Amino acid sequence: MAMHLAGRAIQGGLGKGLGKLAVPGFGAEILYSFIIIACSLMIYFGTKELYELSSHKGIKYFRLAFLFFAFAYFSRSFIKFIITSFDIKIISDISPRALGAVFGTITIFIFMYFSAMAIFYLLYSVMWKKWKSKTIYNFHALALIMASATVILRTPLIYLAINLILLFFVTLTYYISRKQSHKKNSLHIIYILLFIFWTINILDILIPNFFQSVQLFIYLASSGVFLAILYKVLKKTGSN
Amino acid sequence: MAKRAKLEIIKDILEIVKTNHNSIKPTPLLRKSNISSSRFKEYFNDLMRKQFIEEKIHKKDKLISLTEKGYKFLEKYKTIINFIDEFELQD
Repeated sequence: MAMHLAGRAIQGGLGKGLGKLAVPGFGAEILYSFIIIACSLMIYFGTKELYELSSHKGIKYFRLAFLFFAFAYFSRSFIKFIITSFDIKIISDISPRALGAVFGTITIFIFMYFSAMAIFYLLYSVMWKKWKSKTIYNFHALALIMASATVILRTPLIYLAINLILLFFVTLTYYISRKQSHKKNSLHIIYILLFIFWTINILDILIPNFFQSVQLFIYLASSGVFLAILYKVLKKTGSN
Repeated sequence: MAKRAKLEIIKDILEIVKTNHNSIKPTPLLRKSNISSSRFKEYFNDLMRKQFIEEKIHKKDKLISLTEKGYKFLEKYKTIINFIDEFELQD
């Protein structure tokens, strides 16, 4: 009996310890954002010459995707900074309330718009030849609708639904496109992981504590995905 | 024969200029490019606009030659194609 209780106590302690380990501090948040923003900007500027020489639309949208990822992560880390500094759960809780609500609404709107556009640009970079050139304007409109819905309908279930629908649409479109092209490389795994972790990152901002127990693992995996894409870009562009 | 992609046609035109001691008249360039004259005109104007080629007058003859940017394109052509292929950006 005593052994059993001791075992449970150790298990409980270990569980709590692991839980604490998985929740990153603000320093880890900053480091994580820095890695993603640096990777995104290195991809954007590392492909500048290739785009200037080729004027290739696919390269253009690919670069824009990572520029928007950098903007989105910048606004994400800004939101995290505000949440930590004011010791609040969601950004609209800043005191005074009226100011907080306006400030929070604008910041979340910007974050959602950049986030959705980053994913749409990446998808468009592989689909631009199959889709009409005006499709990108539809994506801008869709991103604006998504951002508006996020700030108007303040319900975690709506956030979850919007982002899961986006994830499903993007993954399915990309999967169908790949099936038709019959190409074989590791890119599809990297892109699908990017879509998944990107959705998790959005939900992490919109629904506080949703992924708190596994946050550190999400950060490590997301950083790994961006580093893998950066490695592929640097290898292909011949940059050192 | 498969239809050449835009970047491949640009590379071919620039290669022709380069292999002719970086100096060729427009008519032989059109002939060697193996594309219709209307398409050639489009590509020619595009290359001039992007400053990949330049026109020089030599003894009343109009001659086409590569610019530094044109050479840079040829040098980076394979990298561009590999990049497009790796990230499935389509050409």
